[in-house]
Amino acid sequence: MNDNHQNLVETMFPSDGSGTKPYEWMITPTRQRQWIDDKGVFLWLAFFFSEIGAGLYFMSLFYSFRPGIVIGWLITLLLGGIIHMLYLGNPKRAWRMLMKPNTSELSRGIWIIGIFAVLGFLQMITPGGFNMVFNFIMGILCLLIISHGFATMNVVRALPAWSSTIVLPLSIISGIWVGQQLLQFIFALSGNATVVSGMEVWAATFFLIYVLCIGLYAWGTWHMSDVAKISVKKMLEGDLKRITYVGVGVLAVLLPLIFTLIMWGGSTNGFLVFLRLASVLAGDLAVRYLIMKTAVYNPLI
Amino acid sequence: MPRWGMVIDVKRCIACWGCTIACKEEHFLPPGVFFNRVLIGETGKFPTSSKLIYPVLCNHCEDAACVEACPTGATYVREDGIVAVDDTKCVGCRACMIACPYQQRTYYDEKTKNREYFPGQGKTEMEIIGEKLYPFKLGTVIKCNFCSERVDAGMKKGLTPGKDENATPACVNICPVGARVFGDLDDPNSEINRLIMEKKGKQLRKEFGTEPAVYYID
Repeated sequence: MNDNHQNLVETMFPSDGSGTKPYEWMITPTRQRQWIDDKGVFLWLAFFFSEIGAGLYFMSLFYSFRPGIVIGWLITLLLGGIIHMLYLGNPKRAWRMLMKPNTSELSRGIWIIGIFAVLGFLQMITPGGFNMVFNFIMGILCLLIISHGFATMNVVRALPAWSSTIVLPLSIISGIWVGQQLLQFIFALSGNATVVSGMEVWAATFFLIYVLCIGLYAWGTWHMSDVAKISVKKMLEGDLKRITYVGVGVLAVLLPLIFTLIMWGGSTNGFLVFLRLASVLAGDLAVRYLIMKTAVYNPLI
Repeated sequence: MPRWGMVIDVKRCIACWGCTIACKEEHFLPPGVFFNRVLIGETGKFPTSSKLIYPVLCNHCEDAACVEACPTGATYVREDGIVAVDDTKCVGCRACMIACPYQQRTYYDEKTKNREYFPGQGKTEMEIIGEKLYPFKLGTVIKCNFCSERVDAGMKKGLTPGKDENATPACVNICPVGARVFGDLDDPNSEINRLIMEKKGKQLRKEFGTEPAVYYID
């Protein structure tokens, strides 16, 4: 096959699958590509950073810890926001996403992030910002931002693996769990050993719920429908199995379990807290990647 | 105001791909982009298996998932039921593409725009003219619009979509076996309603509750 022929084949049927033969389009369960392949990885990262920033902010509220809410606010808005913009085809028109909060989950998310940005800034600069009313409102906003990414996915009826009822609880607990880990690490860095040790009971609790939610997601999706089952199979077979076993099995579950057992009872250690945080961050990225990557549509015929 | 819809007789369809090509010509679609496809599948197991031929296009759903998902209002349902995209409002978030159970939308990016029908030989005159006559905006989502330009222009001239060629979608005009019928779903006396009633027209993947305006009969 000469270069011209190869070019022709690549043009008509690109390796990314976007040029699937027109007569084979959607005749078998077809994977979603827009929100994970190519520029779609920006959306995966944007959801992740928005979630962990809001998670850190949320946990910092319980400790009235101003540096925590500042860092959380910045991660959510700067990292989450900028990466969101990189994904859009026309970022200059992003303000238009405020126009349809009545039906669009994405639009509702932009409103929530906007309100979070304003109220969060006010809480940061107000001397008595950590009062109960402010904390309650910001706590609710944080939970909404944490769940925003998966809520946007959850409303897609066409993708059974995303419309599972456990998707939202999983996203909320993962945001809180990662946020708690970030906060514990920041406390460890600042040398606040008592607080770090006291947080360990929360770490163990959140970790257990997180692992339970991952298990429930896999189990629920497997039993949901034949097409949803394909999503789980895709996680366990082919190229993605490495991410599943290493990313989820080892980084999200096994290592945090080992570190949590070592630090059981509050015998914390700054280095172990850091190692667990790194493992949890990578593991959560892997969980999100797999959920986004393996969602498949029902075939049309 | 009519509500446009289509009936496709899958028994008549001979999978000639005339609709696919006519659509590509009408909208000057670049390589790899299809607003109309003819799906070929199978059902059952040998020796009782049978071949399925399903021409598919945007279903112009009444409760369109893409319209619900669009955060900017760029995707909307026109008064005549056609689901359209206003490319001046589209931010390219692709929420509509994700939401569509029929996967009938395409993201028009640099890569798509730069594809040539004859790779390495530059764009043909036809492709260059097409980009001028029927420009798509980069970073937006494109889809079948039931040839709304033809329908609108035809109606202005007093023509009847579905009956007069100049007011009827290109895929309907080209079909050599008359497998496609275009018409007003709100008119109880229309040909399309007669076919749906008589031959018990079915919508594709009805379970998603989007109320497609494209019906299949056999």
